[in-house]
Amino acid sequence: MFEHLLSLGIESIFINNILLAYFLGMCSFLACSKNIKTAIGLGFAVIFVLSITAPMNWLINEFLLKEGALAWAGFPTVDLSFLQFISFIATIAAMVQIVELVMEQFAPALYSALGIFLPLIAVNCSILGASLFMVERNYNFSETVVFGFGSGIGWLLAIVAMAAVQQKMSYANFPKGLAGFGVNMIITGLISMTFMAFAGIKLVG
Amino acid sequence: MKFLLKLLQDQEKLFKKGGKLEKLYPLFEAQYTILFSQKTVSKTRVHIRDFLDTKRYMITVVLALLPCMLFAIYNSGYQAHAAANLSLEHVDIIKTGLQVYIPLLLVTFVVGGFWEVIFSVVRKHEINEGFLVTGMLFPLIMPAGIPLWMVAMGISFGVVIGKEVFGGTGRNFLNPALTGRAFLFFTYPAFMSGDGVWTHMVAAKDKLVDGFSGATPLAVAALSPTGESVSSDLASAGFSVSNMFWGFIPGSMGETSVFCVLIGAAILIITGIGSWRTMLACVVGAVSMSALFNAVASPDSVAMMSVTPIQHLVMGGFAFGAVFMATDPVSSPSQKLSKLIYGFLIGAVAIIIRAVNPAYPEGMMLSILLMNVFAPVIDHFVMNAKLKKRIPNVI
Repeated sequence: MFEHLLSLGIESIFINNILLAYFLGMCSFLACSKNIKTAIGLGFAVIFVLSITAPMNWLINEFLLKEGALAWAGFPTVDLSFLQFISFIATIAAMVQIVELVMEQFAPALYSALGIFLPLIAVNCSILGASLFMVERNYNFSETVVFGFGSGIGWLLAIVAMAAVQQKMSYANFPKGLAGFGVNMIITGLISMTFMAFAGIKLVG
Repeated sequence: MKFLLKLLQDQEKLFKKGGKLEKLYPLFEAQYTILFSQKTVSKTRVHIRDFLDTKRYMITVVLALLPCMLFAIYNSGYQAHAAANLSLEHVDIIKTGLQVYIPLLLVTFVVGGFWEVIFSVVRKHEINEGFLVTGMLFPLIMPAGIPLWMVAMGISFGVVIGKEVFGGTGRNFLNPALTGRAFLFFTYPAFMSGDGVWTHMVAAKDKLVDGFSGATPLAVAALSPTGESVSSDLASAGFSVSNMFWGFIPGSMGETSVFCVLIGAAILIITGIGSWRTMLACVVGAVSMSALFNAVASPDSVAMMSVTPIQHLVMGGFAFGAVFMATDPVSSPSQKLSKLIYGFLIGAVAIIIRAVNPAYPEGMMLSILLMNVFAPVIDHFVMNAKLKKRIPNVI
């Protein structure tokens, strides 16, 4: 079991990297990769939120939304899975808000470090993406925890690499039309091409 | 010489501002500086101690590549003749080899040079010698049987997307030659991997010698059934360690001979152009990773796990990549410590990909590109660690 979880974790970091293989979470990735320090802050915020919301959504899906999930309440035939998107998004937004409030109260240092990034992350598609993947791939609870955490680390790795490359290029003389967004898209493409080194690796389980 | 100088100086006014060919000034400048030293020289005391500008720097790399290039010509001819059962006279072999190599080189330089000139004219920067090295490297990492239009595609991608969109030489974060190769590798896998592509076919398929497979040592090792000894599989395919060291085996054109690569490495290290730290760390990384795999390999794990470190070092493009690709001064990190880390990770990841990833038998290209991406990250953390150690000036 442990081996299986470990390989799932490695898989979600390198092989199925949520950003570089699925291109989820691009908006904040492109917007906040100007320097490494911010990138690391944002990356840790994503890890944090992902590892909370993915298990949270798993519980909601398992006990409220899935077909037959309401059996405990006496409705064995009810299928609420059409509410998946909206309830996942609502959970994510609510979770981020709650985390923000709690953090501000009890961990002000961490709050000031991650502060501005947290609300931004509520709309990060990689968070919703992870929840949807978890449903699609029928993960159980412990798998979901590992998958959420691993995806977060993968996202951090990608944004730090991107930020370092951009920092290296801060004096580069880009062609006019491409400077900024265009070049960033090209860099992302090239980075994701290099991550294809891991594509095709099959780990145990 | 005086005649040449006069000729060039006479033409200069054509290319100067206001001249007829003003737009093509980068071309003129490139011609001039290949033959003579820089046009602009400082009048007062100089800051630079010797003549080692980018041009001489890059030319040294080209010199270091010459043994590999000559061997590429010989070996591609040799492989073609051996496969088709033709005469193995040296002259014939070299003739065939030239027929394979020269078109590749020409296409690379014409197409790549075309992009280089367009960008330098439009963007008004000088034609940089970086392209000379990229253009020399690119044919050497192509399989001998590749169609020429693909070479053109690859070098275009490498030069334009890999380098010029970022502002030219010195600004790229990936090695342009490898970027071009990776592009071809993922776009036309049938022409960049497999058994049929490494040999230039001079005869029809049915006239080949019996038992000809054209597989590279890595492919043989990757396809070796689990539980069998890889060494004996390699030996029965004709790939002894000494054979792989001298390089008379199928593979990308310039990568096969570890011996020629070592000559190049010696030139690069003695002249101080290539970083010995990167090369050494690459070897250390590969050896320790493959030793680790050897140690954990069980009888039912994939055959690649039990390939010995020595075999890993002489197989495929490892040596060529470690010496000529990983040491690229632009895309590798700048700090001494980070070079060690970078090299070690390249070696280790290359072996991981070879052993664990069933999709690709060779991992050197992708592992160098991957570490190119992380080179700035490594540099950043190494530099920060250094800065923290420093005693502040102000107390």
